[in-house]
Amino acid sequence: MTSVPKPPQGHFNVLYFASASSYTGKEHEALPAPLPLRTLFAELEAKYPGVKANVLDSCMVTVNLDYVDMSGDGAADAVVIQEADEVAIIPPVSSG
Amino acid sequence: MDRIDRLREEIARRESELADLKSQLAIAEAARTTPLEPKDDPSWPWPLRHDEYQRYGRQMVVPGFGLQAQLRLKRSSVLIVGAGGLGCPAAAYLAGAGIGTLGLVDADEVEASNLHRQIAHSTGREGMSKVLSAVTYLRDLNPTIRYKTHQEHLTPRNAQDIVSQYDLVLDCTDHPTSRYLISDICVLLSKPLVSASAFQTSGQLAVLNNPPGKGACYRCLFPKPPPPESVVGCGEGGIVGPVVGVMGVLQALEAIKLVVHGLLDKPAGDAEKVERPEQGQGQQRMLIFNAMGDGPSFRSVRLKGRRSGCLACSDESELTLDRLRTSIDYVQFCGVARPVDVLEPHERITAKEYDNVRSSGVPHLLLDVREREHFSIGSMPGAINVPISCFNRREELPEVAGKDGPIYVVCRLGNDSQLAVRKLRERGFDDGNRFVGDITGGVKAWRDTVDPRLPFL
Repeated sequence: MTSVPKPPQGHFNVLYFASASSYTGKEHEALPAPLPLRTLFAELEAKYPGVKANVLDSCMVTVNLDYVDMSGDGAADAVVIQEADEVAIIPPVSSG
Repeated sequence: MDRIDRLREEIARRESELADLKSQLAIAEAARTTPLEPKDDPSWPWPLRHDEYQRYGRQMVVPGFGLQAQLRLKRSSVLIVGAGGLGCPAAAYLAGAGIGTLGLVDADEVEASNLHRQIAHSTGREGMSKVLSAVTYLRDLNPTIRYKTHQEHLTPRNAQDIVSQYDLVLDCTDHPTSRYLISDICVLLSKPLVSASAFQTSGQLAVLNNPPGKGACYRCLFPKPPPPESVVGCGEGGIVGPVVGVMGVLQALEAIKLVVHGLLDKPAGDAEKVERPEQGQGQQRMLIFNAMGDGPSFRSVRLKGRRSGCLACSDESELTLDRLRTSIDYVQFCGVARPVDVLEPHERITAKEYDNVRSSGVPHLLLDVREREHFSIGSMPGAINVPISCFNRREELPEVAGKDGPIYVVCRLGNDSQLAVRKLRERGFDDGNRFVGDITGGVKAWRDTVDPRLPFL
């Protein structure tokens, strides 16, 4: 995860942590930009069936290291992911 | 075996008694041998005892620390919930730093499988209460501070009683139910919460509800608990010792910073209170530690403060101490993983029945769908490893394609194997009259009923 390559032109990076990484089998990947943040989960669900209910719905999401509220009336509606952005999918880790 | 078990029990019982006696002795000795507190000794003109300058000098001379920091540490009380992989290192550094009162909550007992990471416990203390074992270690490290033991789980019923005795809480637990409970009680009692977690090779750290009433709580970050089926503990998923150690040490560091910066000082009735420094009141963050990859990496994401509509800490919240104690069911909120039950009885066979199939010499496929690491520890004769994650990712299955004969699927306990059978059917591997089914109870059942020597985790 230290060296995530720059996304190709017209793309953004999405980083998968913890269970998001084990579900997708990836630590990161590049997806086409721009993309409204609200449609990201549907996009990922199409690629990885079941990922929304099993992982994404309980995750924290950041865009360029800033938290975005994805809940019902949260701030996510206004956000459009731009080229070269970095989105992180951060599931809760509860063990210790 | 019976005799060994009896001896172990007897040893654990006596060690527990011994630990208790040692605790009592340490307390009695501390009362007798600890020099008078400076305030009680008119002949001693300095604010700390002589032994305290010696013990804490190396941290007191650090820029930004000094005498005031040490006095704040000495006046503070910190509760550590969970005396495991996070709680042990956190407690060690907080005890070493001279926190005035250190409380530990845990209902579990020390097991051999804890010892690679839970550094306050020891082989000789297997079977002892984790709280008593940890305090034994901590007293050896620093006998001059006060320890409080709570040998019980934190529950909605006892949470207020326990947490209200402390200034600051460290969540060192291992399950979503306790994470939401601890966050809620900290919001209600206005206690900052240093929360950390670790799994396999990664960890998370955040200082929550800080300052109380302003900072985000655990529910702000994770309003919806993960599906119970997806919650895998360190027992099954594993944890690398130093990874959880790093997170626990970082918790101790954040706790020390909160105390030293004076953020816990009571607003009123505190003669030495100085202006609260801006430091530490800035941007709330979550730290994400990833130990593997090319090198260790820390990523720090910026949080947004309280989330509007948060069930616990928003202005509209209806959470009260009374409701928490009497009517919030954290187990129900987080859900309970039900055993998978998607196959018909004729699609399942027992481990013993499979043993007969194997002895009869009928050509067949035995697919073990546990992850590679579990498989590497020990597997059934002739088993081929195709981890369940390969099915989930719709990968090609060259191990199965083009092979004839019945397919038997096995996993750890008999849950994933059912899902794998379903997926094999969906992908048409049950063509013709071919049997595709699973082994009830998984490799564990094979170990329990056929081959007790098989290493199994």
